[in-house]
Amino acid sequence: MKKTGTVCNLLMFLFIVCLLTGCWDKEELEDKAYVIGLGIDHSNHKGQIKVTLLLANPEVGSMQGGGGSTEKPREIITFDANDFIAAKGTANAIISRNISYELLKIIVVSEEYAKGSGFLTTVSDVQKDKEIRLDGHLAVSKENASEFFLKNRPKMETRPHKYFQYMINHGIENGLIPDSTLFRFFNTTYRETELYLAMYVSAEKNKHPKVQREDEYMAGQVNATGELDDTQFMGAAVFRNGVMIGKLNGQETRIVNILDDTTNIKDILIDLPDPFSNKKKQISARILKTKSNKVKMNVKSARLKIDITVPLKIEIMSNPSMVDFAEKKNQHIVKRQIINHLKKVNEKFFKKTQTKLKGVPYPLSMYARRYFGTIQEYKKFNWRKSYVNADIRVHPNIQIIDYGKQTKSLKR
Amino acid sequence: MKQQLGKLGLREYISIAILMVGAKATEDTPIHLFSKVQNASWMIPILSAGIFFIPLFLLLKTMTLFQDKDLFSVIQKLLGKYLGFMVCLLIFLISSYAISFDTRSYANIIRTFYFTTTPNLIIYALLMVVCTYGARKGIQHIGSVAYLVIYLSVFSLWFALVLCTQKSTFQAIFPIWGPGKLEILKQSSQKLTLFADFFLFTMLIPFLTSIKQYKKGTWFAFVYVSLQISVAILIYICLFDVGMDGLAYPFHTAIRFISIGSFLPNVEIIFFVTWLMSAFIRFTAFLYLNSLMFGHLFKIKDFEYVIPSLATIYLLIGSIPEAAVNASTEFKALSLNISGPAFAAISIILWLAALLKGEFKREKNRNSM
Amino acid sequence: MKKRIVKTLFKKFNTEPQFQEQSNTKDIERKKQDISSNYDQNIQTFKSMFSVPKNTDIKVREFTIRALNRRAFIIFISTMVDVQRIQESIVEPLLENELTTGKIRDIVSFPIESTATIIGEITEFITGGMTALFIDGDNQCHLFETTNIPGRSIEKSDNEVIVKGAKEAFNERVIDNIALLRKKIKNENLIVESQVISKRSRNDVFLVYQKDLANDELLQTIIDKLTSLDTDRILDLSILEQYLEERPWSLFPTILYTERPDRAASFIEEGHIVILMSNSPSCLILPATFWSLMHSPEDHYLRVPYGNFIRLLRLLAFIVAVFSSSFYIAITNYHVGMIPPDLLMAFAGTRERVPFPSIIEIFMMELAFELIREAGLRVPSPIGPTIGIVGALILGQAAVQANIISPIVIIVIALSGLSSFIISDLSMNFAVRITRLLLILSAGFLGVYGLTAFCMAILFYLVSIKSFGTPYFAPMTPHFFSSKDLIVRHLPIKERFRPGYLKPKDMVKQRKE
Repeated sequence: MKKTGTVCNLLMFLFIVCLLTGCWDKEELEDKAYVIGLGIDHSNHKGQIKVTLLLANPEVGSMQGGGGSTEKPREIITFDANDFIAAKGTANAIISRNISYELLKIIVVSEEYAKGSGFLTTVSDVQKDKEIRLDGHLAVSKENASEFFLKNRPKMETRPHKYFQYMINHGIENGLIPDSTLFRFFNTTYRETELYLAMYVSAEKNKHPKVQREDEYMAGQVNATGELDDTQFMGAAVFRNGVMIGKLNGQETRIVNILDDTTNIKDILIDLPDPFSNKKKQISARILKTKSNKVKMNVKSARLKIDITVPLKIEIMSNPSMVDFAEKKNQHIVKRQIINHLKKVNEKFFKKTQTKLKGVPYPLSMYARRYFGTIQEYKKFNWRKSYVNADIRVHPNIQIIDYGKQTKSLKR
Repeated sequence: MKQQLGKLGLREYISIAILMVGAKATEDTPIHLFSKVQNASWMIPILSAGIFFIPLFLLLKTMTLFQDKDLFSVIQKLLGKYLGFMVCLLIFLISSYAISFDTRSYANIIRTFYFTTTPNLIIYALLMVVCTYGARKGIQHIGSVAYLVIYLSVFSLWFALVLCTQKSTFQAIFPIWGPGKLEILKQSSQKLTLFADFFLFTMLIPFLTSIKQYKKGTWFAFVYVSLQISVAILIYICLFDVGMDGLAYPFHTAIRFISIGSFLPNVEIIFFVTWLMSAFIRFTAFLYLNSLMFGHLFKIKDFEYVIPSLATIYLLIGSIPEAAVNASTEFKALSLNISGPAFAAISIILWLAALLKGEFKREKNRNSM
Repeated sequence: MKKRIVKTLFKKFNTEPQFQEQSNTKDIERKKQDISSNYDQNIQTFKSMFSVPKNTDIKVREFTIRALNRRAFIIFISTMVDVQRIQESIVEPLLENELTTGKIRDIVSFPIESTATIIGEITEFITGGMTALFIDGDNQCHLFETTNIPGRSIEKSDNEVIVKGAKEAFNERVIDNIALLRKKIKNENLIVESQVISKRSRNDVFLVYQKDLANDELLQTIIDKLTSLDTDRILDLSILEQYLEERPWSLFPTILYTERPDRAASFIEEGHIVILMSNSPSCLILPATFWSLMHSPEDHYLRVPYGNFIRLLRLLAFIVAVFSSSFYIAITNYHVGMIPPDLLMAFAGTRERVPFPSIIEIFMMELAFELIREAGLRVPSPIGPTIGIVGALILGQAAVQANIISPIVIIVIALSGLSSFIISDLSMNFAVRITRLLLILSAGFLGVYGLTAFCMAILFYLVSIKSFGTPYFAPMTPHFFSSKDLIVRHLPIKERFRPGYLKPKDMVKQRKE
């Protein structure tokens, strides 16, 4: 009896001692420097990488009226390190505060490094780190990542975390860039059946950009002038097994985003060839996707057969040929035209993935799984090989819900 | 209408049962299952619940013969003094082993995800201190706290799971049979440990108003918990797909990933708090059960006084594995494979003993008289 | 067991001190005797007992009763009686009546009269404001209830303000208080049992309950507890509360203290027992549960949706008051990732120039808030409002501008402070405020983990508290039959049962048709 009491007291005592010594993980939030963007480049030293950290200065833009400081909104440092986790320590030689990856929004990898074999091992460290969240995004930059961050000078969003948040969210909503979360990267890489798309970014404008259709650009190719920031988010970099193998332009990325049910796109504005004129005029339309695709496969036949039904709702936004859409006939023509166009574009895209990329850039393989009873059978089927030779048909299921505010147009 | 004080109410009992067993969906058990049967692992809880139903049913039937007696008294009555003592000791040792490494794995989770530089011992000790304090208060009060917490914790678990479904793909559960039907069946018979706690709950029978209440509560909790674990694993599979293999604690990885809208991107703390609450309840109840067994084994009437000492011993045993990985893969996997089948076997043996001794017949006679 | 060790240790260091006291056995002996029939002896006894010439407001008036032709005197305390009435209905009839019936009862026109013989008893009555009449040759004394103690009239309730419903409050006169209760429950089963609880100042305590509802066992425990009190004086009900409580050191109250008769009446009708005391403008309701402490009478006066709205609001306020500052500490010190990036940047930006760690900052502001609050209470009412303005302006605005406190902290503290006012019960309010400080410490120790661990410990503790045998969270857990008036309330028609934890003699308020 007495002994247990003593033990009790000792425990209490221990507990109080713990209270007094406590606070191991405790860190005031202003003692930390928050990394918003992380750049990874090829280093000249063997076995090392060049790490770029984009740090946000919390003092800028946080004060409501008065007392605003003259400090810069961000700080960028680049140095060589073994990996980006050890880089946290090294960076403290330069940065006054503790480096924290809690707010990491984007990891930018230069195209050059992404094409090398070292990329996968470097990025895998993300899973080991306890601060990085898997909902951060992965991007590939045309130039070096360090240059990308340096040249990226947003005019409206001076605070970097806000800039990247808006840029990424709206880019994905418009379908111009893929929803390339780190989570998706690892999942795709584990699954080994499909390709991973990372967003393609650039802060360097092409010297002589070609004028193309609305969405056929890559990042850096859009020819915009004025008082602006040169950074562009457009298109996608294609990864197979963690190595970059190719690129998709904005239009192709859009197709993928429309086909992929796991990405939340909002509504996409696209151009369609105008069926009423032969002068290469374009109708602009808004595509809404509210329902999931229906995918049917025939895995038993010698050649894999895939039928994809894509349900879409379309609003016609412009009317360059001044056609009267109130007429049933015209409505029919437009509908037919859109279906044909989408079918053509999609199937062409699938052909490209089969021949050039040799893999599907979104989790299409998931639909194949249900035709198999066990994992062994599925593995034997070998999706990758079957896909390359597959016969893919796309059936757009179109519903035109709106022909614009005014159905009748001015007479010429 | 009158409820005697000092008795455990039905809803309190159900809350303890759900928190204790249901918590298994949120630690490393899903990974242990996934490593064996991959994407078919969601079937395991349901299947092993089906298998465990038989011994549990037999056990409860046997227990009904001895109104308001707890498990250990029944064992000693049916198997004799010495054999009975050995069996009881075995049960006590198995559950002691289980609690040691279960608590350790919880301490590991807390450390890995939220307190990376805090010494493990501190986290572990705090867990045990609170559990000891709670267990000293007695099962009625544990039940009351469990009932206060249960709605919050169950609701937040389901809320987290619903949020997970936003980012998951349902097709991940295919191919439906995973590595094959035979393998699933084999694993589900081995993973009976999921429901081993229900075997231990028979220790609580004297605390409930009647064995009828106990049975009602047990079956309700049993069905609910098997569904909950199964659905949770199903959703992890849909979220992580094959990537689940590399994870250690899927629930915590998942809650770090999900978000509520774009303004609240990181909400894991909310789920962490409710998870912690249920963890405290779980181990408080578990600790209490163990000390109850200990008191019974060595005829200690005021067994509440041994709780601090037992907790200290468990703390020391749990601190044996050096790293979190060892605790999970070496030590815990062992208990996960052994205790369920062992308990199931004991239940069946008890029933057989009762049958052979003619206890059932006697009961019938008593009823007919 | 731990307690025992502590107790023995405590005893060693704390021995009962010995004093040289004057013995009053003589007085006590004298009080036990009967009065004599000798007029002079009586007058002598009482004059010495009340130290008459020295004690200015004790009046003794000697006269001769005309009808009997005997000497008599009356003794009373002039400050506590209605002198006018004594003159009109006692002295005048005695002096002027000429009928020789020989019975005082027939001569005096005062309505309430009784007799007593023991000296001690008589002194007690006299100190209570009664007038005692001694007649030569009579071995008993006549007592007239002439009490007229000055006091407050019935006023509006100050501390438990409600918008809808009865406004009267208890006052210091226990007779008024009982009348207020009687007025609400017109039933012969309403028992007002009185009991004297202290030895020297002899304070009265009144137990009020419904005979056909209150559980006898519960009543007996309370009576036992009251009789077992061994003390010289208990001045006020709030002190009695501390004598009665099972755990006087506990942070959480187990007895409900209210100044509203309507509230007391509603509890009596559910089978609770109410304690009143002279000189206390309030009553104690036992047993009390967590829910009864959280509820307000207005919950029931308002219509169901509104009543539930303020209930939920109060629950929210309770949570905010308890957790907001500790949660702030936990997430800013340990779980930064939880804060949305914009907010985090804002926090970090404003915290940058503050020299103190956030936990000190929070403590400073908590202290400042408590200071303002206490000062606002004590300040004479004309200056009261100024204090609020000074507090808000100086401590809020200026502290931020001086970079001592970050604005976020002010928001957090103001929110939690404001929320704590919504919990109307004073004891519960204190409990919340002190718990908050402890929670801040635990959050500072191990973030959300420390916070949760401590909360669980508190929950375990709360659940184990009992108020006269009733668990604190009854009837939620452990479950009892009741009309489920807990977090939300139902329609009055649906509230058909009295709470089962009281084990009332009559469980059903209204039978189903």
